Amino acid sequence: MAHKPKIALYWCSSCGGCEESVVDLAEDILAVAEAAEIVFWPVALDAKYDDVARLDDGAITATLINGAIRLDEHVSMARLLRKKSRLLFAHGSCAHLGGVVGLGNFFTNEEILNRVYCDVPTVNNPDRVLPRPETRQGTTVLKLTGLHDMVRSLHQVVDVDYTIPGCPPPPALVKEAVMMVLEDRLPPKGSIVADTRALCYTCPRKETRPEMLEVPSFKRVYEIEWDPEQCFLNQGVVCMGPVTRGGCMAQCIQANMPCRGCFGPVDNVRDQGAKSASLLASLMESTDEEQLKKIVETIPDPGGLFYRYSLASSIMKGRVRRRP
Amino acid sequence: MTNDFEPIIVGFLCNWCSYEGADAAGRARQCYPSNLRVIRVMCSGRVDPQFVFQAFKQGADGVLILGCHPGDCHYKDGNRQALKRYTLIKSMLDAFGIEQDRLRLDWISAAEQEKFVQVVSEMTERVRQLGPLMPRANPLKKLDSNRSTRIENDMRFLQRKHKKISTKARKIESTK
Amino acid sequence: MSTVRIGVFICECGPNIKNAVDLDGLSRFARGLDNVVVAERFALLCSLEGKDTLAKEIQRHRLTRVVIAACSPKEHEHTFKQVMAQAGLNSFLLQIANIREQCAWVISDKTRATQKAQAILEAAVNRVARHEPLEIREIACLPDVVVVGAGMAGISAALTLAQKDRKVHLVEKAPCIGGKVARYEDLFPNLECASCVLDPLLDAVLHHPNIQLWTLSEVKNVLGYFGNYTVEIITKARHVDLQTCIGCGACVEVCPVSVQNEYNEGLDTRKAVYLPYPGALPNLAAIDETHCLRWQSQDCESCQQACPFGSIDYQETDRNMSLKAGAVVIATGFDLFDVTKAPQYGYGKIDNIYTALEFERLVNANGPTQGKLILKDGRVPESIVLIHCVGSRTPRYHQHCSGVCCSYLFKFAHQIRKKIPDATITSLYTDMCLPGKEAQPFSDKIAQKTGLKKIRIKDPAAVTITQDHGRPRVTYTDACDASKSVVADMVVLAPAITGTKDASSLGTLFDIPLGGSGFFVEEQTSLAPVSTPIEGVFVAGCAQGPKEIQAAVSQGQAAAGKILSQLVPGQKRALEAMTAAVDTELCSGCKICLGLCPYKAIVFDDTQQVAGIEEVLCRGCGICAATCPSGAISARHFTDAQLGAEIESLARHTGRENRS
Repeated sequence: MAHKPKIALYWCSSCGGCEESVVDLAEDILAVAEAAEIVFWPVALDAKYDDVARLDDGAITATLINGAIRLDEHVSMARLLRKKSRLLFAHGSCAHLGGVVGLGNFFTNEEILNRVYCDVPTVNNPDRVLPRPETRQGTTVLKLTGLHDMVRSLHQVVDVDYTIPGCPPPPALVKEAVMMVLEDRLPPKGSIVADTRALCYTCPRKETRPEMLEVPSFKRVYEIEWDPEQCFLNQGVVCMGPVTRGGCMAQCIQANMPCRGCFGPVDNVRDQGAKSASLLASLMESTDEEQLKKIVETIPDPGGLFYRYSLASSIMKGRVRRRP
Repeated sequence: MTNDFEPIIVGFLCNWCSYEGADAAGRARQCYPSNLRVIRVMCSGRVDPQFVFQAFKQGADGVLILGCHPGDCHYKDGNRQALKRYTLIKSMLDAFGIEQDRLRLDWISAAEQEKFVQVVSEMTERVRQLGPLMPRANPLKKLDSNRSTRIENDMRFLQRKHKKISTKARKIESTK
Repeated sequence: MSTVRIGVFICECGPNIKNAVDLDGLSRFARGLDNVVVAERFALLCSLEGKDTLAKEIQRHRLTRVVIAACSPKEHEHTFKQVMAQAGLNSFLLQIANIREQCAWVISDKTRATQKAQAILEAAVNRVARHEPLEIREIACLPDVVVVGAGMAGISAALTLAQKDRKVHLVEKAPCIGGKVARYEDLFPNLECASCVLDPLLDAVLHHPNIQLWTLSEVKNVLGYFGNYTVEIITKARHVDLQTCIGCGACVEVCPVSVQNEYNEGLDTRKAVYLPYPGALPNLAAIDETHCLRWQSQDCESCQQACPFGSIDYQETDRNMSLKAGAVVIATGFDLFDVTKAPQYGYGKIDNIYTALEFERLVNANGPTQGKLILKDGRVPESIVLIHCVGSRTPRYHQHCSGVCCSYLFKFAHQIRKKIPDATITSLYTDMCLPGKEAQPFSDKIAQKTGLKKIRIKDPAAVTITQDHGRPRVTYTDACDASKSVVADMVVLAPAITGTKDASSLGTLFDIPLGGSGFFVEEQTSLAPVSTPIEGVFVAGCAQGPKEIQAAVSQGQAAAGKILSQLVPGQKRALEAMTAAVDTELCSGCKICLGLCPYKAIVFDDTQQVAGIEEVLCRGCGICAATCPSGAISARHFTDAQLGAEIESLARHTGRENRS
């Protein structure tokens, strides 16, 4: 076992949930550790930037990067790991699509910084001090890594070989991705380690979906006591199942929650949010414009809802950036 | 915004009523702003919200969807689907910082050349007032560089659609 | 894609495009576009010479796709598709750049027109590169026809078709044929005797070897598509043997049950076993199960015992039949506006107020009074008021004008005068609708001969009828805004003609929408009046809208003509090539598309759990493709990639760079 394959894991703009999905492999992680050498995993192992930089190009068999790209640091780490790795995996919704983090693209950096550092009720910052690229303290200059004005997915920054979708990905998919590498059964480049079809195909409630469905208004999950057996859409609850790639084993549905779309769209759909609009529009029961507006009002923040995970990789990618 | 700005309006016109209405305006030699760029679809119900966002992203300053009058749809109620989608897309525009008036749905029959001209003129004027949707500093340079990445992105999208190409996708050599 | 070789052919269209757009500049621009191997301008591409050159150029340059920059695709796409086929290319590998209607004719500034032409041309070039060849498939068709409704329109359609050797299933709800017209006494404008004109026709229907008549029958379900329909009908048990009954009426005489006779508009009674009215064809009795004592658990056998031919069969049951046909004609006729919904007319509450149909029966020799025009108490009326536009031409009830009432009210005046020489006849009207070559001279003649008193009133919906010593008093506002009233012995109302009560359920079965007032919607008001939005289903007569007999007959014959020309035995029917297609590897079976298809062309495969397109039904609107949340449905010839290429070219193409 002289040449154990080397594996690395890294996080960019991430909540840590994807790391959890690795930890959730439980005992299986030991098998991975047995079969492969984990050379870099900042969350769990003590290793430094230089340890990676010293490696030969392509020395790492596979790297899993989770989190969206928002800082200069993310870009340089992604590029470094790309260079050192034979295979690069986008791990989780943020790396795949920009994820929830990507919703930041509906706002400007200024709006975000003001909100986070000044206006949040739990923050006390009367002088409105914001993080600055450079801070001088005597002779010391402290530099912060650059904050981009857009959140990007990993794909938008480096060449990605495979994608493990999900927020977070089910541990089974992470395991499958790792085993793919270890057992040398790699699918065509660009593959997403999940189903090719949308979630409905494997949804346990699909039998209850009628052929003709129109709803007078949409309901939020707290507004009704919903039937645990019935198709959510059939109950007027917004479920993103039809516009979302399957492969999650319908875990949310099993837990009696509608799909929120974290696996992103299927191959033929370019923009999950726009397709969601098409989907929900088709269900609205009215022919009258005013009535339709009322139905639309029952969907609070449609942009945020439809693009919850995919804004950064959508057609618009975010709010229109005008020249100041 | 200076009013010599010439917006681009992408219009989706249904084959049976609105496209005919536009043709009728042509036959009647009715001049109207040259800003409208027409895409013929069989039914306004063919207009996927993705098309609307694609148009905005790729340079349109306004998007116009024209269909048959309610009740006159060649396909019974395709225009109703268009209305439903339009109503929902409208509710998403604010989040993207796109002004409501940049997207308009209207009904134009084959005989309504006057209305067609009026709608196109109004839309052009309104969008002219609103100014360009996307930044256009140094248009030539910027457009060209954006254009190539856009084409790349879209070609990638197209490639995914063609199974033949995707099956040809390079298989990673196993060990080295 | 192997090698894409696009040829761009720019038409000068005489001076039309040449003078408005810089065509040399446009050709140069076109040559710089991706995949374009040749771009030339021509004087007139749609001319014989132009088409010939085009075909040769396609072959000379080994083109695989063609863009024609010329007039609207509506004008010559078809022409150029034929040239493509001649040159050996699939006709769908063509795209028209409409630089005439959208540029040359609507932009006065040549620079701007040229810029826009460039954008349109580039979009066409980028689109055509993504075109795919499509195959036009053909299906075999059944030449037989189902006609629903055996009134004037239905009979006309059935006879026209049968004469051309088509098998026709004529489905009629009533036990007899001829519709409402068969119950009229005279017909306007010639005042011929209705049964004299009609009976030979009805006879022809009954005896035509190609017409299979289904009386007491209604459509229950419709499956299939143009060329291959299955119309499921239910035929109610008549309990009378069609072969042996001669309509002698022996059974009727002994039947102990009396019920209101709907065939005389409820003005008299009939028995539970009955002949609808004297002279009704086919001349056969029928037992009405809802009233016959045997179905009220009583043991009556009177009619069976009375029948000299043993024709009565109590055991007969309703039958479900499946009729196969290539096309269907809906000719279900009309109902009158229910005047009880306009209580101001006092109809149903005050005696001697009749609707037009009731009046038709009153004056009919075979009607409840044997043609004697008398009041309820048997007296002969001395004064009769005719009221036009009851429930029509008003936003309160029906907005349309029924178009025939003015004429038939003149006919009524004539009939009244013939029967009661000294009665006062008054007509209350707002506007006279007497179109065509016959109605006006007819009415002038009658008005003069009968001494009809015509009073112009303000608003027929504001007329009120109250009781005055047992007689109806009609109060109205005259044209000079004065409130007036007149007391009469009898009032005859001309209610709006509306669609039938069961039109909406029939519309649902055939998937044809109903317009206002319950009439079936035609495909195109002016140019396709007997076609419906559903291919192969036609509508004729008053089912389509109120009309006189002549027009109903014309429509019946027109529908037959359409069928004879579109559904030729042995000839296959070309299907729409630009249909939707489902990628079954991608479909998630979410079923969203199923409810959206206007033609029910999407079917769900229960074993594979995916959707599929019934291509014979699909008309290519693309609604499903726009909605499919998996992008699994594509609209052929209007795919995301093709439209996406157009969007990109048009949205990006600013022309701004050139602006000075």
